[in-house]
Amino acid sequence: MDREAELKRLMLRGLDGDPGAWRMLLTQLRGALTPYFRRRLSGLEADAEDLVQDCLIAIHAKRATYDRSMAFTAWAYAIARYKLIDHFRRQGRRVDVPLEDAAVLTAEHSVEDGVVRRDLSKVLSILPMRQRRLIEDVRIGGFSLAEAAARNGCTEGAAKVSVHRSMKALSASVISHED
Amino acid sequence: MKTDDLIDALAAGLQPARPARLNALLLACAAAASVAAVAILLGVRPALAEVLSSPTTWMKGLYTAGLAGAALWLSARAGRPGVDTRAPLAALAAVVGLAVFWGALELLMTPGSERLVDWLGRTWTVCGRNILLVSAAAAVPTFLSARRLAPTRPAFSGFALGVATGGIAATAYGVLHCPESTIAFVATWYTAGIAAAGLIGAAAGRVALRW
Repeated sequence: MDREAELKRLMLRGLDGDPGAWRMLLTQLRGALTPYFRRRLSGLEADAEDLVQDCLIAIHAKRATYDRSMAFTAWAYAIARYKLIDHFRRQGRRVDVPLEDAAVLTAEHSVEDGVVRRDLSKVLSILPMRQRRLIEDVRIGGFSLAEAAARNGCTEGAAKVSVHRSMKALSASVISHED
Repeated sequence: MKTDDLIDALAAGLQPARPARLNALLLACAAAASVAAVAILLGVRPALAEVLSSPTTWMKGLYTAGLAGAALWLSARAGRPGVDTRAPLAALAAVVGLAVFWGALELLMTPGSERLVDWLGRTWTVCGRNILLVSAAAAVPTFLSARRLAPTRPAFSGFALGVATGGIAATAYGVLHCPESTIAFVATWYTAGIAAAGLIGAAAGRVALRW
């Protein structure tokens, strides 16, 4: 689904006073802001986390300045960029923060997402297909053991054993990679 | 504080939010403060009733009020993150351009020997200073009217609010005190005074408008 449309929907519900939507929006923004700030602060983790919090507070406090006819990402990006510039200024540094396309905010998130997903599928590829499907259902898809067993046509006991074996094989493979 | 806790705290007790605007009450205060500053510090022209019925007075007022209006529009847009400000900037430039063009036309049609008198009037040395003096009274409520907004370029927003302050102040000054009546005079000296207010506003905005 289009991320902009999804975020905007949450924003509009938040403006109408829906705490659940607001919580979800802030959580998603946190995921987008963290890589954005981290990259621009070249790895100063603590500063990046402070900036993420600053920015979430600003987005919360200034939510009334969002114009419902506008793109949500453009609004959020302008605030994030402002907070970044302000952070540099408070440190007395003159850093040029180029004006990028607002989509970097959500794009960087999906890039990182994509990297994780690629790593994950590489690790999982050592498993036989049947075991792999089971572990994806249970550990990633959020199904219960019984549900996963039903989906893959085996008993719950067999599924449990299979998942256990898979985890063992996976951790062994990761450890041997690190050596 | 952990970020998760922060998000929980922000989401809990969320209230519906109405769109943020410039505070109209504070802008009215800025206008009232300008009128009071002119009356107390500079004095109101004698025969005010006659002055108020003359079209030149209203032309002056229309120009400066137009500048204030365009600058307030610019301030409102610049106070919304990610919003394009080209349209109000163009409006601001158009108002100034129209006055300058009209003033130049007026000077061209004036006999050469009277041109300088027309342009400098009797008060060109004090006009800008007086506008700044009145602006000082109007500045605080005008800047406060933008408090709910979120200017991502503080100096630029400060410029817009400074021009708005100057426009409001110059309207009170032009209608109630200033004896000049040529468009060339207004297009030059009023514009200079209001532009100075804008520059002071930009410097003030760098500090005052951070959030």
